[in-house]
Amino acid sequence: MQAFTVMFYRQVLRFFRARARVVAMILNPLIWLLFFGLGWSRVFQSPMARVIFGGVDYLTFLAPGIFAMTLFSQSFIGGVSVIWDKQFGFLKEILVAPAPRAASIAGRIFGDATLVTLQGLVVLMLTFPLAHALKPAGLLPSLLLGFLMALAFAGLGTALALKMESLEGFQMFMMILILPLTFLSGAIYPIGAMPGWMQALAYANPLTYAVDGARHYLVGASAARFALALDWGLLLLLALGFLLLAALAFRRATLEG
Amino acid sequence: MQPAIVAEGLKKRFGRVEAVRGVSFEVRPGEIFAFLGPNGAGKTTTVHMLTTLLRPSAGRAEVAGFDVVAAPTEVRRRIGVVFQDPSLDRELTARENLYIHGRIYGLGGPALREKIGEVLRLVELEPVADRPVKQFSGGMKRRLELARALVHRPRVLFLDEPTLGLDPQTRAHVWDYIRAMKVEAGLTLFLTTHYMDEAEALADRVAIIDRGEIIALGTVEELIRRIGGELLYLRPEGKGRCRPLPGVRNCRELPDGRLLLEVEDAASALPRVLEALLAGGQRVREVTLRRPTLNDVFIRLTGRELRDELTRPGPAGWRGRR
Repeated sequence: MQAFTVMFYRQVLRFFRARARVVAMILNPLIWLLFFGLGWSRVFQSPMARVIFGGVDYLTFLAPGIFAMTLFSQSFIGGVSVIWDKQFGFLKEILVAPAPRAASIAGRIFGDATLVTLQGLVVLMLTFPLAHALKPAGLLPSLLLGFLMALAFAGLGTALALKMESLEGFQMFMMILILPLTFLSGAIYPIGAMPGWMQALAYANPLTYAVDGARHYLVGASAARFALALDWGLLLLLALGFLLLAALAFRRATLEG
Repeated sequence: MQPAIVAEGLKKRFGRVEAVRGVSFEVRPGEIFAFLGPNGAGKTTTVHMLTTLLRPSAGRAEVAGFDVVAAPTEVRRRIGVVFQDPSLDRELTARENLYIHGRIYGLGGPALREKIGEVLRLVELEPVADRPVKQFSGGMKRRLELARALVHRPRVLFLDEPTLGLDPQTRAHVWDYIRAMKVEAGLTLFLTTHYMDEAEALADRVAIIDRGEIIALGTVEELIRRIGGELLYLRPEGKGRCRPLPGVRNCRELPDGRLLLEVEDAASALPRVLEALLAGGQRVREVTLRRPTLNDVFIRLTGRELRDELTRPGPAGWRGRR
């Protein structure tokens, strides 16, 4: 358990040490909300548009999407720290330690997920004044659901990074995963409006269920597409699966890569 | 008393390259044991096998009484490692690095705080303990790594090229710290180096390793005694040529034109050698007398200079695989 808590602590310590990163992580979703959200919300002011977005204004529709998207991308990108640890040698310090490997990698993933969830909280606090229709009661369950998703993607990012030799390799995964999964999640436009083949991809996208769950809590049941049990169940399975994957990847890790 | 390290026929193969080709040795508790050899000789690969980071292709090894393959966790509990390349968290301070290390090894509370203060004092980093490591010089980082490796009171300490890339003054300083560490009760040190002066300065016993094999093992005195006698460097007029000379066991023509002669006893051999050379029409302008060093042992065993190897990259091994 010591290894878990200390690796958790290390992630937190490193996060707050990097001031620029803290600012960038809050700025990025704010840019989406303001310049993307506010702009398009003026375009979608007709009553017709309200019907498309489930009876709410565009900014209210978009807000849970931006929240989920932030958590997803930031937790996945957290895997980069594993690559830095490889390049600066710190990983060897962990590999040669007697602590259980699974505990130290889990500490790291839970640390990342917690930090990302805190960012999600900040994003939502900034969102409430902009999108008045959001339900404050949805805050806590959304954060919990978001934490589960952050665990899943921090786990995936970490497992991938353990297999990567270079930053470039990981960046390629960021490129091919983050944007498409964001567009295919219903975060920015409703899944119902997508062509059939795109809808099929959206159903296979885990981020879809996080967006859906967050929308359920923050906007209302009518704005959601799936049952809450499905959102929670899928994300729980995914989190467990990716945590296990990361633990296995790290247990086998030697200097031979 | 049980040996601190036992290696029997340890081998490591990377694809088609055999980096370590069956090394066997024992390290006694409390001694400083050095692996001396050129780059690519298999030193780091051996350290990685002994510290459970690489699985041997063949052979076996025990460290602090436990098998490195069968009981890696038991081995890890009892060893400290200073890797050749830094393995610190650059974003964190020296104290935070030590704290995290201690916690990973299951320490905590006042005992850990006290130990951290103690190791910081040992390597004289207390005044900068709360500065981030990325501001440290190479020498300071190395000292911090030495300190960190001691936090959990290991029984065997591995130092892989502990002074690589440091300036001469800092190197001498690091040697002092290493000697001070040995004073810690019962601590056994296994160090690798390609600096013969480092092996001579620190090691109780030295294994000379070349191309994945141990080619000589013993105390520095024992190894040098194998050469026996003394070395004479003669600078003749013109280029020197080796020829049979009285009292000379071995002769080498050096690239700078000098002759390197191995003799039993320089005082009695020198007059006879000079006479014989003069009789052959060769005048000598300068004579230097030197006791043999580990470098001479290396030359005798391999026909190559240890120092020459430094400029050429070694065969592909772990170092090339990063």
